[in-house]
Amino acid sequence: MSTPTPARPGPGGIVTQDVRRHFGPVRAVDGMDLVAHPGAVTALVGPNGSGKTTLLLMLAGLLRPDAGTITVAGVDPTVDGLGARAVTGWMPDAFGTWDSLTAREILLTFAAAYRVPAEVATTRVAELLETVHLADLADRPAHVLSRGQKQRLGLARALVHDPQVLLLDEPASGLDPRSRVDLRVLLRGLAAQGRTVLVSSHVLTELDEMADDAVFVSGGRTVARQTVEEATATRRPWRLRALSQSGLAAWLDAAGVPWTPEDTFAPPADVPGGVLVELDGEEAAAALLRTAVGAGVPVTSLAPAAGALESTYLALEEERR
Amino acid sequence: MSADLQTPPAAAPDDAAGRPDRSTGAWSLTWAGVRTVATLELRQRVRSTRWVVALVVFAVVVGAVTTLTFLASSSASATMSDDGVSVGRTMFGFIVFFVLFLGLLVSPTLSATSINGDRAAGTLATLQVTLLSPAEIVLGKLLAAWVASLAFLAVSVPFVVWAFAAGGTPVVGLLTTLLLLAVVLAVVCAVGLGFSALVNRGAGSAVLTYVTVAGLCVVTLVVFGLSMFLVSGDEEVQVNQLPWSSDLQFDDFGNPIGDVECELVTQERYVAHTERTWWLLAPNPFVVVADALPGGDIQTASDPMTLIRYGVRSARVGVQEPLEECWNAGDWEERQAEQMERVESSGAVWPWGLATLVLLGAGGVVVAVRRLTIPQATLPRGMRVA
Repeated sequence: MSTPTPARPGPGGIVTQDVRRHFGPVRAVDGMDLVAHPGAVTALVGPNGSGKTTLLLMLAGLLRPDAGTITVAGVDPTVDGLGARAVTGWMPDAFGTWDSLTAREILLTFAAAYRVPAEVATTRVAELLETVHLADLADRPAHVLSRGQKQRLGLARALVHDPQVLLLDEPASGLDPRSRVDLRVLLRGLAAQGRTVLVSSHVLTELDEMADDAVFVSGGRTVARQTVEEATATRRPWRLRALSQSGLAAWLDAAGVPWTPEDTFAPPADVPGGVLVELDGEEAAAALLRTAVGAGVPVTSLAPAAGALESTYLALEEERR
Repeated sequence: MSADLQTPPAAAPDDAAGRPDRSTGAWSLTWAGVRTVATLELRQRVRSTRWVVALVVFAVVVGAVTTLTFLASSSASATMSDDGVSVGRTMFGFIVFFVLFLGLLVSPTLSATSINGDRAAGTLATLQVTLLSPAEIVLGKLLAAWVASLAFLAVSVPFVVWAFAAGGTPVVGLLTTLLLLAVVLAVVCAVGLGFSALVNRGAGSAVLTYVTVAGLCVVTLVVFGLSMFLVSGDEEVQVNQLPWSSDLQFDDFGNPIGDVECELVTQERYVAHTERTWWLLAPNPFVVVADALPGGDIQTASDPMTLIRYGVRSARVGVQEPLEECWNAGDWEERQAEQMERVESSGAVWPWGLATLVLLGAGGVVVAVRRLTIPQATLPRGMRVA
């Protein structure tokens, strides 16, 4: 993964400063600061109801913020709505399709709605259908598409006008594992072309592989900002497995490494099993593994017990309690 | 809402920079944009509904009613030894009214769930974030709904032409009637679209649209009737009548014997000043269509269009002094015809009605455009953006 540039409000990308938006008495977004750089995939992480979708609606130009400033690719969507929409592709978390139209017709309609010239649109739509693997279903009505296929069609729709900034709200929901991999490759490719990609999700494991930066939000506020590299290097639980669980526990006790049982209900037994250890990143993991193997412990695996972002997320949850 | 939309966000520091405010270009219009939306809507509608079945059923119903009207009016005219003129006009009137009635029933279903339906299906917001302006989305939807309702009008045109061919209706009348039917349907579609933008639930906007249509067609009539007592009363009016004297003698038919002149007298009479309430009838679509059809001979005509036309025009003229009660004099019929002629030529109601209807439709469009303008500052209760 590329090293993200340090936070600075550049001409491109997405910058929000202290954005607020309420619905009646509910403060959906209550002071969010966010920077998403061009050429990077930024993850917007937070629990349900933390204001992710509302923020994306404001970035997409559908909602006017009560306060705060937004720039999307250098344009303020509240001042120059049309200019911002022209460079923004938005994929909502829940959306519908015109069931009687074919996938190709839907994309061509959106190309026309984005004023893409007709001759450009035809080839562009054909390319996009290939990209999202819907070429063989292109001329069937949209109601035959499965949920995941509709999701892919929605992604193609967001890309139809070749936007500089891509806002994706839970793009992976409903996708099969193959499509998730495709999505990751596609988004990495778009970022590599210098586009800004903002992905909201609460499925954190897949964001580990996809994102460069992460912005953690909770209760309508930004609570933390971290690069995925930083998240990978922070202290988090790893799962250590060996052929004998009790032997492993005994060696850890002897070596002075604190551990917690994987299964809290049963004491370690002399059967293949594992325990959890807290480690500071991959360097520490390599060192522990070297010592264990050197001491003759029959280790079978050592791997992070949770994703990097998930650990940060859970740690933040922990702090708030 | 518009006031809020114009207000710059409180904490925006660079608002004074004087950049062009393109976000308020809600009314920018291109034909390509309107066509994109209309094509989308029509494709979706034509493929998703049993369109052909609906049109065939509509045609069969109108055809059956036309045939019945033809048989009924020709047998009626045979017994009354009438000419073809009355048969033709009666038939034309009934068929046009029936087509208008069915059109008013069908049109709300074509537009009254257009915007809130799209919102519920999650397709509206994705369209709003494109470069289409709100006006293009609204007019595209209106155009699609109107074209669909015109399809129903189109399948009934053969029957209207059949009625026209039965005689009595001028060619101009045929054309203006069809044109007015089309305009009325467009107005109903626009009103439905306005409600569908205003109300969250499809059932609510459909009901409101039907209530509006019923209001125009029935409530106008009822209110006019009920308000009659407000504008009626005993008044001193001039009456042209036979002088009352004891030496006046009558023959067996009730006509006065000898040469008697009628004279103007002032009498207290119960009169209705409908010239104050005629406008209640004006926006009624049936009145507009009937009043705009060039009239037949009011002395002999018995067709619905002519009767309504004469009725609303005399309502508009109101009390005409002196009241003509000199029915015994020889030239009574002549003077009566003159008065009818005066009513006919002076009291056209349909331009007022048509203007009201067009304003109503325009109101629907304006409401819809304002509701679709983004970014939205205030959200109506319970409305989701996407």
